[in-house]
Amino acid sequence: MSKALKITLISLAGVVAFVAIVWFFVLPSLAPYNFHGQVIQSNQAAPAVELDGPDGSTVRLSDYEGKVVVLYFGYTYCPDVCPITLSKLDRAMDIIGDKAEDVQVIMVSVDPERDTPEILKAYMAHFNPTFIGVTGDTNTIDRIATTYGVYYEAAEGSDATGYLVNHTATVMIVDKDGYLKLVLPFEGTAEEMAADLSHFLR
Amino acid sequence: MNSRKLIWGLGIVGALLVLGVMAFAIFEPIQVLPRIRLSPGYLLADQQGESFTSEDVRGDIVLYTFRYSGCEEQCAGLDETMLEVRDRVGEVDLGDTDFRLVTISFDPETDTTDVLTAEADKFGADGLQWRFATGDEQHLANVVKAGFKVWYEEQDDGSFSFDPTLVLVDGWGVIRGEYEYQTLKSDADKIIHHLDILTEEIRNATGAAGLAYEAAHLFLCYP
Repeated sequence: MSKALKITLISLAGVVAFVAIVWFFVLPSLAPYNFHGQVIQSNQAAPAVELDGPDGSTVRLSDYEGKVVVLYFGYTYCPDVCPITLSKLDRAMDIIGDKAEDVQVIMVSVDPERDTPEILKAYMAHFNPTFIGVTGDTNTIDRIATTYGVYYEAAEGSDATGYLVNHTATVMIVDKDGYLKLVLPFEGTAEEMAADLSHFLR
Repeated sequence: MNSRKLIWGLGIVGALLVLGVMAFAIFEPIQVLPRIRLSPGYLLADQQGESFTSEDVRGDIVLYTFRYSGCEEQCAGLDETMLEVRDRVGEVDLGDTDFRLVTISFDPETDTTDVLTAEADKFGADGLQWRFATGDEQHLANVVKAGFKVWYEEQDDGSFSFDPTLVLVDGWGVIRGEYEYQTLKSDADKIIHHLDILTEEIRNATGAAGLAYEAAHLFLCYP
């Protein structure tokens, strides 16, 4: 093999290696992460939340600056959608492991008449001891739910459940800086939630 | 000499990458509307007295306006635009996505179901593609003022001062366009153009095209 041919082949191999590195390593890191819900890119901070938490505390969204907050709107008498979602969130916490310390799950009650702070505390602990349930007066709940795109209304239930509350079942993720970044659909899996949370915890 | 060629080759590949990124930003091959913020959730009653919620239009593109039945000159621009957009929406390739118009009254005391029905009839609103709706006064304040961020205030004579505004919301419940009227100038052209951009994005929401659209969101919002 002539020296010129050898140098040409080495050069060609170098270019191929360069393109391969760019293609497989550089471009994927530049490509946007594919979230499992709807991304929000608002330059306005997430709507303020100030509600009654466990043990007489006042829970504000701003209390959790530096943490990723998962906001969910549900109620303790909820027969299916809420327990399923909270169980998935608990599983997501398991998946992300130690990083869960930087995540705070908060459920805002859409049934403030029945959901007292005490009832919410016991209910949320059933899923995960770190999860918090908050409630407040009906107008404050209405304002907060509305601004997070959540609709809710009382509906007929059974003797066992009492009245039900139909409500939007999405899960909201607020980043460490207090911006609403992602809305996850009810259908999302625990693994998808964990992946998206990990992205915000990087 | 050959190592120089190699350096040149690598340099050209790198330059092409940089030029590609710059071209994407400058020539705008993909246009996107900004994802401004979440559209509010609501529970209202429409012109037929039926319950009407934000979940009823999930998956649809919706153009909202906010007014009251006693509004005449102040609403002329809004009304003209709503009518023009309704009449011209056929110019847009909506694909499988439905397009709705919703007019929310912030004067529930006056705008009873009968009044809303009369208003809807005046505009030829069929109650399906175009709905008129109102609700509880406090809830309306939460929806219109806090959610859509449209200011209104009742005056001593029973009329309302308000910011004439149209809001475009996508099927995911995200506000994608806000059109504030300071004059009676029609914004129908702009809204039709934005509907084109939005439906194009919806058609390309998955796969490699979806990633390209996400990249466009990361660059800038340039319509």
